[in-house]
Amino acid sequence: MNVLITVTCVSLSFSWASAEFDLAQIRLIVYQDCEKRGRQVLFDSKAIHKLDTSEPYTRPASDVNMIGEMMFGSVSMSYKGSTLKIHHIRSPPQLMVSKVFSTRFGSSTSGSTNTYVSCFFSSAICCYMSLLNNVFFLHWILISHSNPVDMPSRGHSEDGDSGIARSASLSSLLATPLPSPGSSFSSGLSSSYQRRWLRSQATSLQHGPMPRWNTEEMFNLSDESCNSNPAMIQRKKIAISIIISLPEREEENHNFQEFFFSHFPLFESHMNKLKTAIERAMIVCRRIAESSQRVQVYLCRVMEALGEFRMTVWNLYMAPRISEPVWLSMISQSTERNLLCQRFLKEMSLLMEHGAKSQFLAALLTAVLTHHLAWVSTVMPSSLPPIKSACQKPASQTVDLLAKSHPYNPLWAQLGDLYGALGSPVRVCRTVVVGRKRELVQRVLYVLSYFIRCSDLQEHVQPQGQMDNPASPCTSQTTDPTPEKTCPPKPDPLKPTACVIGTSEKALNSDLGNAIPGTSVEQNHEILLTDTNSTSPSPSSESTAVRPEFTEMGQECFGEDSDSVGGGLEHILANQSPLLHRVQFHIGSPSETANDGQAGGLTGAGCGRGLDRKLHQRLLSDIRRKESSDSALGDSDDEETSPRELHEDCTNLVCLFLCSCQVESRASVNHFGHSLLGGYCPQYMPDFALHGISSDLRLKQCLMADLEHTVLHPALDEPVAEALCIVADTDRLSVQVVTSQRRVCEGGRLGRDVMVSNLVHTLITSVLQLFALNIASDFCVMHLEDRLQEVYFKSRSLAEYLRGQTRVHVKELGLALGIESSDIPLLAAVASTHSPYVAQILL
Amino acid sequence: MNALVALCHFCELHGPRTLFCTEALHPPSPSPPQPGSAIPGDRDREADREGEGLTMRANSSATQRADMCEGCRSLPASHPGFVSVDSETGIRYLSHQHPRQPQLFSVVRQACVRSLSCEVCPGREGPIFFGDEQHGFVFSHTFFIKDSLARGFQRWYSIVVVAMDRIYLINSWPFLLRHLRQTIQSLQDTALKVFDNEQCVCPQRAVRMNSAFSPAVFPHQRSGNAARSLTSLTQHPNLWASLHSSFSWLLKACGSRLTEKLLEGAPTEDTLVLIERQTEQEEEMSGWEGAEGGGSNPQPSQSESVHSKDFQFDDGRQEDLLGPKFKSLRHLRQVLGANDFRQLTWHVLMGNQVIWRGADPGLIQSAFNVLKALLPVGCVRAVSYSPHYEEAYRCNFLGLSPDVPIPAHVSSSEFSMLVDVHNVERGCVNPVSDDDILSLYQFNISSANTQPTDKGPTLLNKIEVALSNGNLSVEVVSLCLLCLKEEWMNKVKVLFKFSKVDGRGKEDTQKVLALLGATGPGEEDNVRLLKFWMTGLSKLYKSHLMTAVRGGERTLSQ
Repeated sequence: MNVLITVTCVSLSFSWASAEFDLAQIRLIVYQDCEKRGRQVLFDSKAIHKLDTSEPYTRPASDVNMIGEMMFGSVSMSYKGSTLKIHHIRSPPQLMVSKVFSTRFGSSTSGSTNTYVSCFFSSAICCYMSLLNNVFFLHWILISHSNPVDMPSRGHSEDGDSGIARSASLSSLLATPLPSPGSSFSSGLSSSYQRRWLRSQATSLQHGPMPRWNTEEMFNLSDESCNSNPAMIQRKKIAISIIISLPEREEENHNFQEFFFSHFPLFESHMNKLKTAIERAMIVCRRIAESSQRVQVYLCRVMEALGEFRMTVWNLYMAPRISEPVWLSMISQSTERNLLCQRFLKEMSLLMEHGAKSQFLAALLTAVLTHHLAWVSTVMPSSLPPIKSACQKPASQTVDLLAKSHPYNPLWAQLGDLYGALGSPVRVCRTVVVGRKRELVQRVLYVLSYFIRCSDLQEHVQPQGQMDNPASPCTSQTTDPTPEKTCPPKPDPLKPTACVIGTSEKALNSDLGNAIPGTSVEQNHEILLTDTNSTSPSPSSESTAVRPEFTEMGQECFGEDSDSVGGGLEHILANQSPLLHRVQFHIGSPSETANDGQAGGLTGAGCGRGLDRKLHQRLLSDIRRKESSDSALGDSDDEETSPRELHEDCTNLVCLFLCSCQVESRASVNHFGHSLLGGYCPQYMPDFALHGISSDLRLKQCLMADLEHTVLHPALDEPVAEALCIVADTDRLSVQVVTSQRRVCEGGRLGRDVMVSNLVHTLITSVLQLFALNIASDFCVMHLEDRLQEVYFKSRSLAEYLRGQTRVHVKELGLALGIESSDIPLLAAVASTHSPYVAQILL
Repeated sequence: MNALVALCHFCELHGPRTLFCTEALHPPSPSPPQPGSAIPGDRDREADREGEGLTMRANSSATQRADMCEGCRSLPASHPGFVSVDSETGIRYLSHQHPRQPQLFSVVRQACVRSLSCEVCPGREGPIFFGDEQHGFVFSHTFFIKDSLARGFQRWYSIVVVAMDRIYLINSWPFLLRHLRQTIQSLQDTALKVFDNEQCVCPQRAVRMNSAFSPAVFPHQRSGNAARSLTSLTQHPNLWASLHSSFSWLLKACGSRLTEKLLEGAPTEDTLVLIERQTEQEEEMSGWEGAEGGGSNPQPSQSESVHSKDFQFDDGRQEDLLGPKFKSLRHLRQVLGANDFRQLTWHVLMGNQVIWRGADPGLIQSAFNVLKALLPVGCVRAVSYSPHYEEAYRCNFLGLSPDVPIPAHVSSSEFSMLVDVHNVERGCVNPVSDDDILSLYQFNISSANTQPTDKGPTLLNKIEVALSNGNLSVEVVSLCLLCLKEEWMNKVKVLFKFSKVDGRGKEDTQKVLALLGATGPGEEDNVRLLKFWMTGLSKLYKSHLMTAVRGGERTLSQ
């Protein structure tokens, strides 16, 4: 099987890329579009040779005009926010990502344009540049005297506010849309579910466009040191493009694209960093009087930022990964579970021995469990009976149903899991393991890959070479354009791809035949699709085919993994399939259906409604057990047909059957669970949820800036209150937590030391002692999960305790709840995932 | 996927037009929007739309319809549109010429105009992604369709996928590109055949070359040609139904392309036991079709099943009985006094038979409901009120009417305890409130037990601390109790595995007890508790451990 080649690897780490990725293949272009002066290139990495030569610039590349067109479009848009574009250039194969910004200039308090014109580029520089290079590529007139006074744009006051909104003050984040603690919703469902539900709502098309937290992103050229106010908005746009040359070999090209598109949020985040650097370069060089020097400084700074970007992207693609992250491997394959458990516990025992004196492992796990919070929902007890065996955790059915009825992006969900963004306020965390001993660092990474958890992703794709592709509307037409075979794709009782019910085809054809524009005015949309058995064109084959196909379709379409998903949906489907034989799709006035003696008859509009309601009752039954009744799955169909229930939108529509096609399920490879759990890397990586490095030199240089950047431009695409990094040093056996909320740390240290939670300490100790007593390793892992569940229960009682308290009596917590002061940070973080108010009380 | 798909056309006469649009209607949200949440309400969207740089204002379909030719039209005005229902999820896919949801009209219009007249795609045919937070995000693929009568013998179209979730849409780029290419290829191939046929019949190039160009005639010539619809270009009478199916499938398949497996914690032992009992009960019930089980005076043979049911619905049933009740462990402790309470709960936790004898079944049942919370569900076997004595193996909670005699072997046993509830002689005092149990009853506790009950078990000591701390609410105490129970259940599991499954010796067992924190003061009681609680493990758990051992041995021998 080609499912997971990585699993068979013996080595601890592997890399994504099959071939080298050339850094020079990433090109940066900065362009300006000015209403008066048209477009000018402000930077093109292709046009720069080497900065230290006397002639750093060459002619502009021949394609810059075309690129400018692509960046800005042929018609300029008046939209003030930032626009994102991605182009695919066929030859030579390249991907181009552009961000177009409106510009914001600082103006002095007087509001006169003259004052800052002088401190900015004058057209003289541009002339100089033009003479020097004989080209115009560095036209750089952002402001000139001829510019009219800018009109304040409509709604600019909101623009001013957006900066504040984005800086995400803690209080505003505490008001993030989580249900109130008293609601029944918060008690039983994990924050994993809530995050996903909210995401599906926040990105729903049904609500139309919603201004979100990061809408008004501008290109900021206001110099804060000049005491400027960011009110002026120029009728200029600045666009930044990154052009990536794609590998020539088809397979490499494909792999890179798959990686690029699935990891886009990370690329984008780095692009934002690049943009900030360009902004700064422009602002800084404004202060330089001498023009050639000014240009030099600008170019140097931008090239430096581009170098950084290239290096980060290269690292992201090429850095080694943990080949067998314990948690993901354990949940994806049940056959090798015992061996995995054994190896995991062995590595953990070795680690425990190594840092016994300093409680290194306990401190590290305290920090990891406190901040990478995705483990919490994996221990929250399910209310459903296990499907296979008691030791296997059930897959969440509520999340599964949610994903089907209200699709959200599973990749996004996974990213949030890995960064531990499940608490309230939202915090994101990464863990870096530093140490010169490769083996030791890798052992730490391996053990942590059990505790840093995320959902596992499956990909469902059409098998190669499948003929009837539902995406092709003219499949049957291409060879034989007779109007008889038109229901797409061609119904074929032998294949599950076919439209399931034969009658639909016939009836629809007769209807659609009339529906050709202009041919018939008095057409009647009242079509009846009655009993499939009696009117099917080929009753013998159809009637036998219908039932198995229907159930099969449901499974195949969604790649239902019968191992992981319970009987819920299959149960519904099984209940429904007999209904299909008496389904009556009546398009027209609903009242006309009444006289047909079929009790279970559903109107066209109702056809999905009944199921849909059931599905939700099923879903809700877990949420609000009180409200649900067994009849939700039973035979209360009759009420579904009442006209009141019918959705207005659908009453008159021509009902077509939803086509399905066979899909193959395979473990998705391009997902964050694999890509963000790094191995022992040559260099510090700002994206990885977990990775190891040999020296913390670069980490010290970059970390604070990275954390600040994460808060401003989170790859997670939602506001983040705080970014954290756990730094575990295996040489010094120290564990520190560094936060974006700068707190003074004495002695040049990065962050604060971690206090070992007593709960975590006893947890590890007893698991490893059991292992030492030769108890089966998978039992030890089960015990570990039980103990983690205890931590969750404790957090529940802490949350309940805090609900009524204005002051926290630590002694009381210890005596009555068995919660020691060392456990409070951990338990409060866990509690904030299910009881958001906890953070408010403890602040 | 939370997106819509639209086919757009650059009409030679009317500019960019939306031809056909498939949108997904999701079932009502599984949970109601929370007050104060960021779920979009009714913002003034029209205000946002003002001052668009583009001609976006031809918004109403009425104005467009007047200004439309065959080439800008898909379904006739009288056509109701198409719908497909995904019966599994309840998502409905609707297709019309324009989106039905008004808030999407301008979004689609914007996407259409941008894809066909603003954004620049090298080579004019191909994919582009563009968008912003205000107008939504668009994956667009432009393409030509052959038309023997059109200028340049081709017409320009695009298929746009519009979504609000920028990242999801970008993540889906390879998938969308792959499948839209197929859709487009299929349209192009079909149109090409039509084109070739038409060219055979009447080569247009020759016609055009030969016809004298006259500015006066030209617009008229063209106006007839410009009106060709996509249906006529492909000679596909059911084109729109087919496109509906393709687009619906695309939305569905794109939304289910990636699925995640998100695990929950294993159910607690209490949950498992409840499920097992319910299953047993259902089997039994189906055994005696129609028999009225239960009632206030259950037959001994039924008591097991009835009481497992009791356990789930005890709160509800308790409401039926009038009179004073115990509301919580703390209440019980207040009524009995700390010493008697300690004795009573000690017996409960050790698995001894606790008999309550008195005239008020409601009171006794409420006492049992409160006391049951001390034990795992699997350890509770209750007969809440019986006219005769029931043996200890049948029940560890037994309620009896006042005159029922206790057999001698029971009253002399150290493994049982009796609580006699006596009615207090009430004079003509003021009617007392129901809450004041002590003014109504007197409680006499007796047991042949000689063991000290004040040392352990550890669990009881901890519960008593919580109960005696008035700062802690009843809810906190019950969660605290839950924590303690789960903690000890986990120890029970280890001990079960160690002693019953693996059959280890005494020395090893002592080690395990030490690492579980069961040794020290009250050790004897702790061990007794663990052993009693072992009987409450679910069948599923026990059988899993047993089979896991066999399975484990097999893998080792391999």
